[in-house]
Amino acid sequence: MLLKPQSKWTWLVAAYLFLAGIGGGAYIVGVVADWLGGEWAVISKIGVVLGFPCVLVGCAFLVLDLGKPENFWRAWMRPNTSWIARGTIVISVFMVVGAIHFGFWLWPFNSLAGADGARHAIGLLGALFAFGTAIYTGILLGASRPIAFWSTAMLPLLFLVSALSTGVMAVIIGAMVGGGAEGPILALGKADILLIIAEVFVVVFYLQATHRLPESRASARLVLMESVAPLFWIGVAGLGLIVPLVLEITGAFALGGTGAEVAAIVASISGVVGGLFLRQVVLAGGIHAPLKAGRFEYAVSKV
Amino acid sequence: MRYGFVIDLKRCYGCYSCQVACKAANNTPKGIDFASCLQGEVGTYPNALRQMLPTLCMQCAEPECLKVCPTGATKQDENGIVTVDKDLCMGCKYCMMACPYGQRHTVAEWASYFPDAEGELDAYQQYAKSKWEDKNGYGIATKCDFCIDRVKEGKQPACVEACPAKARYFGDLDDPESEISILIKRERGFQLNPEFGTEPSVYYLPAR
Repeated sequence: MLLKPQSKWTWLVAAYLFLAGIGGGAYIVGVVADWLGGEWAVISKIGVVLGFPCVLVGCAFLVLDLGKPENFWRAWMRPNTSWIARGTIVISVFMVVGAIHFGFWLWPFNSLAGADGARHAIGLLGALFAFGTAIYTGILLGASRPIAFWSTAMLPLLFLVSALSTGVMAVIIGAMVGGGAEGPILALGKADILLIIAEVFVVVFYLQATHRLPESRASARLVLMESVAPLFWIGVAGLGLIVPLVLEITGAFALGGTGAEVAAIVASISGVVGGLFLRQVVLAGGIHAPLKAGRFEYAVSKV
Repeated sequence: MRYGFVIDLKRCYGCYSCQVACKAANNTPKGIDFASCLQGEVGTYPNALRQMLPTLCMQCAEPECLKVCPTGATKQDENGIVTVDKDLCMGCKYCMMACPYGQRHTVAEWASYFPDAEGELDAYQQYAKSKWEDKNGYGIATKCDFCIDRVKEGKQPACVEACPAKARYFGDLDDPESEISILIKRERGFQLNPEFGTEPSVYYLPAR
């Protein structure tokens, strides 16, 4: 019996999962930078500016994936039914709060730029919903109980760590382009080293946790050795973890000045792309449990 | 009243009549089967066994597809039949991920079975297409409804009527005296993958 992965949620959904993560992560970086103040002010603006637009673009991908895109607004109508419905509320609140936060720096509200207390309060609220935006997608996939590769407590954690890491890297790219101060950029790079190391452990434990059921073992085989393996080893392990980790460590401890900056930007671009591949690997590895009747097992077909 | 099915695996010989009758009754387009037959094998030749497993929507009492539906399009009627409101569904396909039995289907566009019919559909296919569009349409996640329209007319579901092996029984699970309730009790009827807690309304009688 050959267990086949689901084929209905692919790159469009992966792009959304990725952008929701990066937007939530970047916004959290922006809020923390806002609290730090001083030379972190530019970093803060970059994080906040990346936050809700990333999620908004992600939503466009999600709407494109719908069978009836014109019915997308119905996702708001039954908030208490499903993780898609709850998530829609969470990301909506995040985008509104993120836009308000962004608005503090725009005319005619820029007169409020001095209102630090109000902005920090908005930032705290936004950060809570950014956290929700980054993590709910893991819970959403996990609610699909027949797919054991998704239905695990490790998945929300994996998505959260990846969201924070790709968020930090997106802010580094933004700061390089937008002219952020050198100190904060190098500090972000060092923080990202820790996040990537954490992500390596989470990925390893996530795959290790697949050993218990035949369908999740089949998922692990698919990801590590079969059709999804190139995407995993090159995209996730290579571009997403090893390249940024090596470059960021070299940049932070061995190089200085321009060398460190080049290392940081290459590491960040590579790591961000890896974040997209990570979402696609998780989706493409999703296999439904076989149907069992007596001694016979049957693959669920055509899903 | 809770409609249910019994499928006797001893009697099924895998002729696919249920699958074909279902296609004829529901006008499902190419590649979509509300009722289908899965092939199972254990062992290696010469110590091998094969067993068919006819499947359809299990009309679960606790449907996973309904629990994940974000728009309220998936509904359960008073007889336990799970239906889809085609005007409410937005086609997110979450139900397809959550259904343990692979019984939610989505159709992007009408596909013909006949290579020469790419341009103009013949009258039969026109009929099937318009019937499909009336009831289901495209982009939404549809499913088997135990042929509820036929049942309301006093007929059996199409797959039951067509089964030449008399392996399929349709009836009321709430009535302890119904044929299916008695069969489930006497012949150790079981449900598929009870570990998901879905309480399917389709029971199987063990193969020999």
